[in-house]
Amino acid sequence: MAARMLWASRAAGYLRISVPHRGFATVLKDLKYCDSHEWAKVEGSSATVGITDHAQDHLGDVVYVELPEVGASVTQGEGFGAVESVKATSDINSPVSGKVVEVNEELSNSPGLINSSPYEQGWIIKVDISDAGQLNNLMDADKYSKFCEEEDAKH
Amino acid sequence: MVLAAISNPTSITSCPSRRLSRRKSQSYPRPVPTMSNQVPKSALSVSVNSIADYPDGRTCECFDLHNELVPYGKAWAWQKELVRQKKASIQSDGDCPDTLIVLQHQPVYTMGTGSSEEYLNFDMKNAPFDVHRTERGGEVTYHGPGQLVMYPIINLRNHKMDLHWYLRSLEEVVLRALLSAFSIKASRLEGFTGIWVGDEKLAAIGIRVSQWIAYHGLALNVTADLTPFQWIIPCGIRNRRVGSIKGILREASLSVNCGAGDIFVPRERDLVDIASDALIEAFVEVFQLEVHRKPLTDAFLRGKSL
Repeated sequence: MAARMLWASRAAGYLRISVPHRGFATVLKDLKYCDSHEWAKVEGSSATVGITDHAQDHLGDVVYVELPEVGASVTQGEGFGAVESVKATSDINSPVSGKVVEVNEELSNSPGLINSSPYEQGWIIKVDISDAGQLNNLMDADKYSKFCEEEDAKH
Repeated sequence: MVLAAISNPTSITSCPSRRLSRRKSQSYPRPVPTMSNQVPKSALSVSVNSIADYPDGRTCECFDLHNELVPYGKAWAWQKELVRQKKASIQSDGDCPDTLIVLQHQPVYTMGTGSSEEYLNFDMKNAPFDVHRTERGGEVTYHGPGQLVMYPIINLRNHKMDLHWYLRSLEEVVLRALLSAFSIKASRLEGFTGIWVGDEKLAAIGIRVSQWIAYHGLALNVTADLTPFQWIIPCGIRNRRVGSIKGILREASLSVNCGAGDIFVPRERDLVDIASDALIEAFVEVFQLEVHRKPLTDAFLRGKSL
């Protein structure tokens, strides 16, 4: 836990983003975000998708991940899978539209990777993007950080 | 004057007979927030309010079918339709009303998203009742007559976008209902969502959240025959038992020496009525909603065949 905090504040410093003072939910600079707290790392015409640190923090320990099939199509803003954290299962919504080309099978054995490494080992699916224009609907890191702060402040 | 958990019968000091009479016409006293000291207070952000304190008065439509045995499949479809309607409402109007359904089910087993068949003590091909694999969280459980099932279908955006808070709040609803209606001092058990009296689980909880609309909900054993629970490992928890309000009250009445009179335990049907009223009352308080009861025909008239 301490090592993670160190990593987080170092990463925050490196990437020069403000870490919200609520917990230490990190937001990575070069990712895109949607308001249902998923992230997309766009590389060319494909994207890796997962849920954000803010999301996993709110969920608590993930005990089960429902993954789509490779080849399934996903649509921006719509559910493609689910995460279960004690007694509560929530949809994961896709930040991009396209076709699933890879799913993170590791999550079947180690769903907790979503908690421990939401942006790296806890990635959920890889998608061949069908509509690059939709990426404009997503938020950048700064906007997403602010969005999280506002959302938390409301409650 | 509180019926303690059955393991401490000597702490019962007086006959609770008056408390167990039908309460429909009485207003409830303000319930004492009875939080188990096993759960750190910081984890609980549910504040105590009285019914009158709702400056914003969010409304919630309530379909009170607490004496109806609704087939699981139909109730499930109804929930999903309501969720669909609410999502559409949010798209068009930015908001949606909350809904509460209270009912009973015909005997059925349900499993959650990550549920394992190892917790079934029977072969799926030869199951004693229908088994539904649903999209809620949690392991296998049983629903049947004498068990009150509550399905709040609510927009967490209007409450708190925090699943832990929501689960703790559902627990709070049951805790308050058990205390106010039956003087049963139940508790949470850290790490085991649900409501417990001693090592008996009286209420199970499992929910699904989709775009912050929560559905599925909780199930409270009132007078249910608990035998079907023996054919599963309920909620995947070994080494603990399942209990009911009727069981707790009966054991308490057998162990208490009241001298002059017997403890009055209401008829089974009254127990269900009392419990249902208490649950709805507690729900109103915990979630600070104004409940508008919708008649059964309204539900049918909406074209959802039940």
